Amino acid sequence: MSASAIPTVPTPLTGEQAEAMAQRHIKKHHVAIVLLHWFNAISWLLELSTGAGLIVSPYYRFAPMWYLQMMEGVFGSRANMLRFHIAVGLTWTAVFLVYAIFGFRNYLRIEVLQNEIGLDRDDMRWLRVRTLLLLGRTKDPLPPQGVYNAGQKLFALLVYTMVPLIMLTGLTMTFHWFGTAFVAWAMVLHFFAVGMVVSGLMIHVYMGAVFPEEKPAFYSMITGVVDELYAYRHHFKWWRSVKIQQQAWRAELTSKEEAIGTDEKPHQDPRTDTTPLISRPQSGDRR
Amino acid sequence: MPRYAMVIDQERCVGCQSCTVACKSEWEVPNGSARTKVRQTGTVGQFPKLSTAFYVSQCNHCDRPTCVPACPTGATYQDQNGVVRVNRDLCIGCGSCVAACPYGARYINAEIGKVDKCDFCASRLSRGLQPACVATCPAHAKIFGDLEDSSSDVFQFVYRGAAKRMETANIAIGPNVYYAGKPEHAELALASFAPLPPRTLAPGKVWSSLLNKFVFLAVGATFLGQAVAFFHQLSTGEKQFEE
Repeated sequence: MSASAIPTVPTPLTGEQAEAMAQRHIKKHHVAIVLLHWFNAISWLLELSTGAGLIVSPYYRFAPMWYLQMMEGVFGSRANMLRFHIAVGLTWTAVFLVYAIFGFRNYLRIEVLQNEIGLDRDDMRWLRVRTLLLLGRTKDPLPPQGVYNAGQKLFALLVYTMVPLIMLTGLTMTFHWFGTAFVAWAMVLHFFAVGMVVSGLMIHVYMGAVFPEEKPAFYSMITGVVDELYAYRHHFKWWRSVKIQQQAWRAELTSKEEAIGTDEKPHQDPRTDTTPLISRPQSGDRR
Repeated sequence: MPRYAMVIDQERCVGCQSCTVACKSEWEVPNGSARTKVRQTGTVGQFPKLSTAFYVSQCNHCDRPTCVPACPTGATYQDQNGVVRVNRDLCIGCGSCVAACPYGARYINAEIGKVDKCDFCASRLSRGLQPACVATCPAHAKIFGDLEDSSSDVFQFVYRGAAKRMETANIAIGPNVYYAGKPEHAELALASFAPLPPRTLAPGKVWSSLLNKFVFLAVGATFLGQAVAFFHQLSTGEKQFEE
């Protein structure tokens, strides 16, 4: 069986095919990524709420007075709030530093970065069509996408540039690095970088928690898996690469089985193939 | 509630710097910095009509302090009794207040990375003592007290005498350190050490003229875009993904 049975463009599915694909799961996120994502989410929630409560100068303040007073009441004093903000920020930075040190072999490779932030021609078209769809101005199908869509890639690009800036400026302010002039610049750059991330974060949260078509992506950040139908429709290029990989594994297995004289199973179109390569999680499964 | 003020009698001041030394030892001020110090105008005029004056510079605990709104974290604040103070637990040492002070009364303590300045020896006041500089001054040129108390020496100087504030037409923020003595002394000091217009640091200017516009534009645009998408979603109804 060659890769020819795997479609190169997303073709319409029969009801039967869609049914079968909705039952099968593909692993999308490593458990470490799932845990890191929620750790990051909680850190951001705490840092944004305390950070907004710490900015009291009329030149920089944006939170209403009642919010500042409420946050001061919650923490007892603004000094305590600042200590908390610094403690969470340092923990957050330390965790990502550990992740970068131990994970860079796996995650900081060019193919991985290409998946995460490399925008190709399909991605540029996707951005246009997606915007027009949201405005109800087109009925065109969305161009096929890799493991992350172009919107996610843009957000990743923003986060990858702004988060190191947030960490460095935060450390500069905490430890008074390089003196007063640097601290003064660090402060406004901290506000700027956080503001930029927040502008993307609003879309990220909306798409994950509110937008109906991306709900499987939200659940994948809990279970680590998505169903094949979602992968086929939203991340076709990724679905295809996973299928090619699975066929290669299967061919390897088959050749081993032939060597020990087992009967060869006939191959099928992967869209109606019901062989559970990664089985659907059952209740009571230990994961 | 008292309203603290200080009067410096320029006729009595001999420029001995006792107040500077007392303050530095009381507050462990690093070398090269001072919460208060005596500055001399230098000799002016034509012989034999020469004149000079001593000007004691320190925080003026102004009625409308420019340093308080400049502080991003609220570390600089004004007590009910008028004393402008710094909460070191909140100070990040950004220097915004140093630039905002017209009197150059603030400095960054490099040893602790935080701002420092005169607070009328607040901890001594709470123990019923006079500020260290006042207690030390051998000529009694520094007079400290409560402006709400009509029997106090500062009340007499400020409301009955001719004590002057170190203000110009442009910079009048109500300093609470007054200068008494011969009028020409105060004029001379004002000519040499006039208050400077409050400054905003370069990062603060870049923020208010450029960066905050970026942030508000980006956040506003995504918020609007999302609102459009959300109402579109509501108007078309939820389409189940599985169809």
